[in-house]
Amino acid sequence: MTTDHLTRYDRAMVRLMNRGEGRTLYASARRRRVVVAAHVALTAALGGLMTYLYLAQREQWWLLVPMVPLLLAWMFLTGVINSATRGLLELRERALDERQLTDRARVGALAHRAMTLLLLAAVAVLLCAGAVLGAAPTAYAAPLLIAVLVTHWLMPLWVAGTTARDEPEDDLPHV
Amino acid sequence: MSEQVHNRLAMVRAERKVSRQELAEAVGAHYQTVGYIERGQYNPSLDLALRIAKYFGLPVEALFSLEPFQPLTEEVYGGKQ
Repeated sequence: MTTDHLTRYDRAMVRLMNRGEGRTLYASARRRRVVVAAHVALTAALGGLMTYLYLAQREQWWLLVPMVPLLLAWMFLTGVINSATRGLLELRERALDERQLTDRARVGALAHRAMTLLLLAAVAVLLCAGAVLGAAPTAYAAPLLIAVLVTHWLMPLWVAGTTARDEPEDDLPHV
Repeated sequence: MSEQVHNRLAMVRAERKVSRQELAEAVGAHYQTVGYIERGQYNPSLDLALRIAKYFGLPVEALFSLEPFQPLTEEVYGGKQ
């Protein structure tokens, strides 16, 4: 990675992703796992609310009110995970060095494998539900499709946050 | 396949009073990458290893080796007295 060919946007993003303000939030593997778990829970809560809104018989727009703080918290945690990975998935390839590109490829492969298992499980559940109930629950098809899409979109972020390594120890005190 | 490559990057960097950030910028890498190389958690490509060696003006084998490095005092003064 040489910085000569980076655009002004790339440089700004590199600076943004390497800011150290929230470092204590993701300083250890345990904290990073907690952040990712909270992000997954918030994603599920937001998805659940949206599904309920979609399936509800009556219009219940007041449900949008609790979604605002949830969405803000979700955005904050997304930023924390991106900081923990130093923008591994957010930065353009040309702004990453060889180790980061290797990490990004590894995260992509792991996320792909996890998504395959998740989709297999979802298909198995749907087939079993269809066999038991006589027909697949079609009312849930659209929300399920959106849930799969969102999970597919976010899985690399969750994998990257979970597998991120600890920051190297403090630099030498005299340099 | 993950051959452990040993290095004495941290020692040379301390000796030359070069920070991770300075070295990283000079060789076109992220400062974490330098840290992971020092910790033995990442083996640099030949290209990066050569760039690091060039930065310090040393042959690449002075910084990286497939065999563990001997303590420097032993190398300079020979075996134990």
